[in-house]
Amino acid sequence: MNNPQTLPQYFLKQVHTHGANKVALRQKEFGIWREFTWQDSYENVKLFALGLLALGVQRGDKICTIGDNDRQYLWGYLGLLAVGATQVGVYTDAIPKELAYLAAHSDSTFAMAKDQEQCDKMLEIRDEVPNIKKVVYWEDKGLWSYDEPWLISYEEVLELGQAVAEKEPDRFDTEVWLGQGEDTAVLCYTSGTTGLPKGAMLSHNNLINSTRLFDEIDPRYDTDNHVSILPLGWIGEHALGIAPHVYAGIVMNFPEEPETVRENIREIAPEGLLYNSRLWENLVGMVQVSINETSWFNRKLYETFLPVGYQVADRRLRNEPVGAGLNLAYKLGNLTVFGPLRDKLGLSRIRAAYTAGSALSPDAMRFFHALGINLKQVYGSTELTGGATLHRDGDIKFASVGKPIPESEAKIGENGEILLTGPTLFKGYYKNPEATESSLLVDEDGRKWFRTGDAGYIDEDGHIIYLDRVKEMLTLANGEKFSPQFIEGRLKFSPYIRDVMAVGTERDFVTALIVMDFGNVGNWAERRGLGYTTFIDLSQKQEVYDLIQQAVADVNENLPPNGRVRRFVLMHKEFDADEEEMTRSRKLKRNVLYSKYDDIITSMYNGDDRVEVRASVQYQDGSTSVVETAVKIASLY
Amino acid sequence: MSSNAVLLDVQNVSLSFGGNAALSDVGFSVNKGEIRAIIGPNGAGKTSMLNCISGFYRPQRGEILFKTADLTKTPTYKIASLGIARTFQNIALYTGLSTLDNLMAARHIHMKQNSLASMVYWGTAQREEVAHREVVEEIIDFLEIAHIRKATVGALSYGLRKRVELGRALAMEPELLLLDEPMAGMNVEEKEDMARFILDIHERRGITIVLIEHDMGLVMDISDRVVVLDFGVKIADGVPDEIKQDARVIDAYLGKA
Repeated sequence: MNNPQTLPQYFLKQVHTHGANKVALRQKEFGIWREFTWQDSYENVKLFALGLLALGVQRGDKICTIGDNDRQYLWGYLGLLAVGATQVGVYTDAIPKELAYLAAHSDSTFAMAKDQEQCDKMLEIRDEVPNIKKVVYWEDKGLWSYDEPWLISYEEVLELGQAVAEKEPDRFDTEVWLGQGEDTAVLCYTSGTTGLPKGAMLSHNNLINSTRLFDEIDPRYDTDNHVSILPLGWIGEHALGIAPHVYAGIVMNFPEEPETVRENIREIAPEGLLYNSRLWENLVGMVQVSINETSWFNRKLYETFLPVGYQVADRRLRNEPVGAGLNLAYKLGNLTVFGPLRDKLGLSRIRAAYTAGSALSPDAMRFFHALGINLKQVYGSTELTGGATLHRDGDIKFASVGKPIPESEAKIGENGEILLTGPTLFKGYYKNPEATESSLLVDEDGRKWFRTGDAGYIDEDGHIIYLDRVKEMLTLANGEKFSPQFIEGRLKFSPYIRDVMAVGTERDFVTALIVMDFGNVGNWAERRGLGYTTFIDLSQKQEVYDLIQQAVADVNENLPPNGRVRRFVLMHKEFDADEEEMTRSRKLKRNVLYSKYDDIITSMYNGDDRVEVRASVQYQDGSTSVVETAVKIASLY
Repeated sequence: MSSNAVLLDVQNVSLSFGGNAALSDVGFSVNKGEIRAIIGPNGAGKTSMLNCISGFYRPQRGEILFKTADLTKTPTYKIASLGIARTFQNIALYTGLSTLDNLMAARHIHMKQNSLASMVYWGTAQREEVAHREVVEEIIDFLEIAHIRKATVGALSYGLRKRVELGRALAMEPELLLLDEPMAGMNVEEKEDMARFILDIHERRGITIVLIEHDMGLVMDISDRVVVLDFGVKIADGVPDEIKQDARVIDAYLGKA
C-alpha cells in the first residue's frame, strides 16, 4: 500500500489492518451500544462514495452537512472525501438564513441533512441554493410522506453505489488514491464576531499534521474511545475526532440523543475529552452540590481527602516529590473519593482532558488535578486546524495556554499580538483573498504567520500567556500594551476581591482600584479574631491590605513586567449600579469611574501613600451623610 | 390512509347514571386507519363515550362493535388484548417506576411465559423479555424519550408524563388508540410536539385513533372526521370543514343568539 496522505487513505490503511476484527465505532440506539467494525465502515464509506459519483459529484465539489453526529455522518464525511469532495460543516442549530449563506458561499453542489428538521430548512432555502442538486437524509422519521425528488435517502445513495461497485469493482480504491495531501478536506466557517463568516480551507495535510503533532504530546491508541459530541461546524471534532479516528484508529462513539450525552460519556469513559472552560466550571459546581446532598459519611470522606488531593496536585504541578506518607493518603483518597467521583463524571479512564475557550480559573484547574484528572489548557484557532499550543504533562501553568505543538512556533507581533505558524496553518479563506492576506503576516524569510487578533506574551519558560483581544488592550505612556480585563479577571479569581478596575492609559505603570468582597473578607477577619465595624473600617485594616497584596502579587507573577500592577487601593465603598458606576450586568463603566475617582488615581501616580476621600453614605433609613476618611495606597515595588 | 372498512361501530348507545342521561342514543362509526375526533362542550359525554368503548362503563342500551366483538358484553380485562389501548385525561402511570418499567408493564398482555418461568429468567423467558424490550425501545426512540428512560416517572414534567403515557398505550401495540385530551394543560410547543407524534403514530404505525380534544384548531387540523356531542346527544358528524359550518355546532359552542 502506498504512503497515505489523505484522510480516506489513512482510513483504508486502518481497514486493511483491522478489517472485521476490530470495532471502529459505536452508536447507542434503542438503549444499546451497537458496534460496527472497520469492515462495516468500509462497506458504507465505499458505497456512499460511489453513490455520490453516480449522482454526479466531481472532485473539488463542496458538500455541506447539517445534522447531529452519528455513524452516517461519519461515513458520509469519509465517503465524500474519498471522491475528492470537500466537507462543509454547519451547526445543527443554524437558522435557514445562515444555512443558505454557507451553502451558497461554499458553492455546495450537494447537501447532507440528517432529518426532517434539517430537510425542512433545506426545502425552505431551496431557491437560494440552485447549485444543490440533491439533499441526502438518513433519518426518515417524519419524512415518510414527503414526495420530493430533491431529497434522497442515505440507503438510496448506497444502492446507487452498489450498482457502480458491481460494474467497476476497483473504482473506489482508484478514487481514494487520486487524493493529494494538499487537497482541501474541510471548509470550516469561523463564527466571525464582525462581518460575515469566513470559510477557512483546511487541507488533508493540515488535519493529519495536527493529529500527528498532538499525538507526539498526548499519544492516542486504537484502544482509545472518543465520544463524538463537538459540532461539525467547529474545528474541534474534525481535529480531535475524525482525523485521529483514521490516523490512530481511536474508536468513535456516538451518543443516543443530544440530551443523553452526559450519561453516554459516563458509559463510555473516554481517554481524552475537550470541554470549554464554562463546562468545567459547571462540573465543579455539580460536584459540590452532590457532595452537599450525599450521606454524612461520604461527605466526611470528601472533606478529609480533598486537602490531600490539593497537596498532591500542587506538588506534582511544581514537579516536587510527593513523599511516601502523602502518597499513601492519596491512594486511600483515590480509592474512597476521587475514583468514584471521576467515574460519576465519566472521567474514570481519562488520560488527557482539555479546556478551551476563555481562561479557566486556577481554582477549578487545581480542583480537577486534585481529583486526579489531567486537565490541560489548549489554545488555537480554526486557521491553525484547532489546537496550536498545549500544556505538556509535568509542565502545566495555570495562567498559560501552554507551549506551541511540535514543528510549530509562536511569536509576539509588534502590537503585542500572538502570531502562530506551523504545518497546521490553513490554506486561506475560501473566495476571500483580501481576508486571507490581512490575516497573515509574512516575515523577511517569507514565512507566513497567522494573526490571531489575541494579545499575549511569552514567558521565560516559553509558555504563551493569553491576555485579551488586541482591540481590548490599553496603552501605557511608553507605548507598552496591557490588558485591563485580563488583570481584572485574574484578580477576581481571588475570593476576597469582588470588583477591580485596572488603570494605566497614558500613565507610566498599571494601578488598580480594588473592591474587597465584604462577606468573604469579613469571614476571614472573624476567623482571625480581627475586629471591625463597617465596610470602610475593614477595608482599611493593614491585615486586609496584606491579604489583597498577596493576591495581587500572585497575579503579577503571570504578567509581563511592564503590565504588572504596581500600586493599588482598597476602595472604601463598592462599585454600585445605582450610582452609574457599573451596568446592571456588573460591567464596569470605566469613564464614570475614571472621573469619579480621579483624586485617588492621581494620588496613586503622585506617589502618595494615602488619599483623603469624601464619601456620601446612605443609611438603611434613607438618610445620607458624608464621611471623610483616608484610603491607603499600597505599593508592590 | 383510511379505508372504508369499519373498525369500530357504535350503535344507539345510551348511558345514564341514576336519572342523568350521560349519553342518549349515540351512534357513529370509526373506519380503519382514521383519526376520529369526539368534541363537545364540557359535560357533553365525551369521556363517558370513551369509557364505554374501553369497557370502563357499561351502557344500558346499544352495542359497540369492535370488528366482530361487542365491547359492551366483553369483560373489561379482555378489551386490551382485543387491541384497544387508551390514555387518560388525568395521567395514570406507575409514578414510582421508571419510564422503561412503565412501558414494559404494558407489554404484559403480549407475554406468554408464566410467572415461575419469568422468575427463573432462563431460555424462552429471557428471549421473550428481550423481544419485548426491543418493542419498547422502538417506542422510546419514536417518542424521543431516551433521555428519561431510567428516570422515575413521578419526577417528570407534566408534558413528559403525557408522552410516557402515550408510550405505554403504544407498547400494547393496539389497533385502536383512544386518547382522552392528550394535549390538555400543555404549552404551545408541547402541543405541537404531541400533534406531531399523533400524526406519526397514525402515519407510520397505521393505528386508528379516536381522540377527545378541546383545542379546536388542532382537532380540525389533524382529524379525518369529527363527531360532536352536546348533553349526551350527537348533534353533528362529518369532515372538519362541514363541522366548522354546522349551525348546531356553532350554537352548542357559542350559545344561541
